[in-house]
Amino acid sequence: MHKLKSTNLTRFLFFVLLGVALFFLGNRVDELRVYQGATLSMYVIAIASIILLTGYSGQVSLGHGALMAIGGYAAAITREHLGWPIWICFAVAVLVAALAGSVLGTAAARLSGPYLAGTTLALAVGLPSIANQFSILGGEQGLLFDVGAPPASMGADFTQYKWYFWIAALTALIVMWWLQNILRSRYGRTWRAVRGNEVAAELAGIHVGKSKTLAFTVSSGVAGLAGAVLAMTISTVSPSAFPLSLSFSLLTGAVLAGVSTLSGVIIGALTLVATPEIADAISRRLGSSENVTTNLPGLLVSALLIIVVLLVPNGPLEQLRSARARKAREATHQ
Amino acid sequence: MYQFINTIFIGITSGAIYSLMAIALVLVWRSTRVVNFAQAGMALLSTYIGYEFIQRFHSFWLALFLAMVAGAGIGALVDSIFMRTLFRRVAHGPIAGVAPIIATLGLLGLIRASLGLAVGNSDVSIRPPVSNVGYTISGHTLAFSPLKLVIVSAAVFLMIALSILFSKTNIGLSLRASAFSPEIARLAGVRVDRVRTLGWAIAGAAGAAAGMLQTPSGTGALSPDSLDFSLLLVFGFIAAVIGGLESLIGAVLGGVLLGLVLAFVLTYMSGSLVFITAFVLLIIVLLVRPQGIIGMNRGRRA
Repeated sequence: MHKLKSTNLTRFLFFVLLGVALFFLGNRVDELRVYQGATLSMYVIAIASIILLTGYSGQVSLGHGALMAIGGYAAAITREHLGWPIWICFAVAVLVAALAGSVLGTAAARLSGPYLAGTTLALAVGLPSIANQFSILGGEQGLLFDVGAPPASMGADFTQYKWYFWIAALTALIVMWWLQNILRSRYGRTWRAVRGNEVAAELAGIHVGKSKTLAFTVSSGVAGLAGAVLAMTISTVSPSAFPLSLSFSLLTGAVLAGVSTLSGVIIGALTLVATPEIADAISRRLGSSENVTTNLPGLLVSALLIIVVLLVPNGPLEQLRSARARKAREATHQ
Repeated sequence: MYQFINTIFIGITSGAIYSLMAIALVLVWRSTRVVNFAQAGMALLSTYIGYEFIQRFHSFWLALFLAMVAGAGIGALVDSIFMRTLFRRVAHGPIAGVAPIIATLGLLGLIRASLGLAVGNSDVSIRPPVSNVGYTISGHTLAFSPLKLVIVSAAVFLMIALSILFSKTNIGLSLRASAFSPEIARLAGVRVDRVRTLGWAIAGAAGAAAGMLQTPSGTGALSPDSLDFSLLLVFGFIAAVIGGLESLIGAVLGGVLLGLVLAFVLTYMSGSLVFITAFVLLIIVLLVRPQGIIGMNRGRRA
């Protein structure tokens, strides 16, 4: 098959078309699906931030849930205390999380795999305790994050969830479009070079430390945005909204998506949205005991993570592609 | 003055527990070059097994021993079934470097969720085997009780036993050899796979001891989603990194140092600063002295 030449314009058009399709889809499905669409968009952004970091820059973070929390809190505080428009709150979320990420990333650039993983894990475990330290963060209850009702011009039957979905989906589309571009730019190539071989990259004139720090900063900013979107869909930020299991879920989503390619991100996001539903269906069949309902989602996510790492470590998409490439190669040899 | 002494006691006791966890992490790191994030899950599972034995035999000491045996079994199983498969299947590709991290993390989640599924998320409690009421000296109650004495001695005993094992026995020699260079060790006739599994088993036992000793010395409550075990993992990791992630003595020193620093923060500053302090300490060590306080191999990059 002849590959369609991918230019900036065609990619932009693709995302515009996707947006139009989502617009019509959002009008046709029921409220629950619309809400799940908003969650899906949040996961797309969050997983993309992990893929950027792990797949393209070769660093692993177990603490992206914490960076999401930073973004969520930043957005909520801006909204509550300054009352700025939602878009500016989102931008603040990106900036604050990116700032935190750049501090962490400076340390991270000097750390290899396990050290970085442990450090970010420590962050994810410990960050919630900070919420109790400062009164501006609202302790265990957290803060309200109210993005406001949809504009009246949208019509009377335009629900709050639909408004969440629109904001979330539009944000996700913009982020994905931007990430696609940045990964094809000089920076994306630099990151991949560093992931491939640090020494070779250094010899080619790349500043390895700077490149890693930049990747971590960008990834953190995107994670912070995902945190703000998450805070919007549940209208609050609190320590319990960003549990350790969130960081784990994101990693599962990224591995399922295939960490080395951004295009699989929707698979990971769909799986994460579907898991609670599947778990719910199974636990209802098993008689809905409390043990089952609270633990089954976690069990499914972890089991999935292990299965994927063991069986299709590069993600199902990449596995299919390489299998097809192998077959094609065999065909030409004959 | 008494407050100062008590703070030191508290620091040493909690430090001893962090040391045990750090020892477990160091052992696995030395034998397989993996930081085993599932160690907290394995310790949790072993502690639950220990709890079951306490219910059956009414003896904490027997239960501690059996929990450590169970922990060793779990460690050996995880390595021989799970990690070996992982290393065989994910040797190359973009994810090869991070796959063990992701896999052990998945295992942590799996153990926690399955435990929750099996026993429920409500707390069970392990009562201290000996009194946890502090010794009294001339009217002042010290923050050092028979239980704490037991915890510290257990950690010291384990460390000495392991040091002897590593430096004086053939098993220790082959453990060190396979960590240093698997290829050469294999040529020299060391069965590297078995030796690695042994490393995991000892680590499992050390982790089980950490879990069994931590639970009664804290609140006594045990639950599958226990934050204490997440913190145990994180503090154990920080202690191991302070010690350089390579050396057992470093792990113990790192654990005690971390315990002392955190105890002083807790007593003289604020309880909610404890975690931030630990995190900052970790970052400082990683930036300033990534080879750890023992620092044998200067050439390694963190």
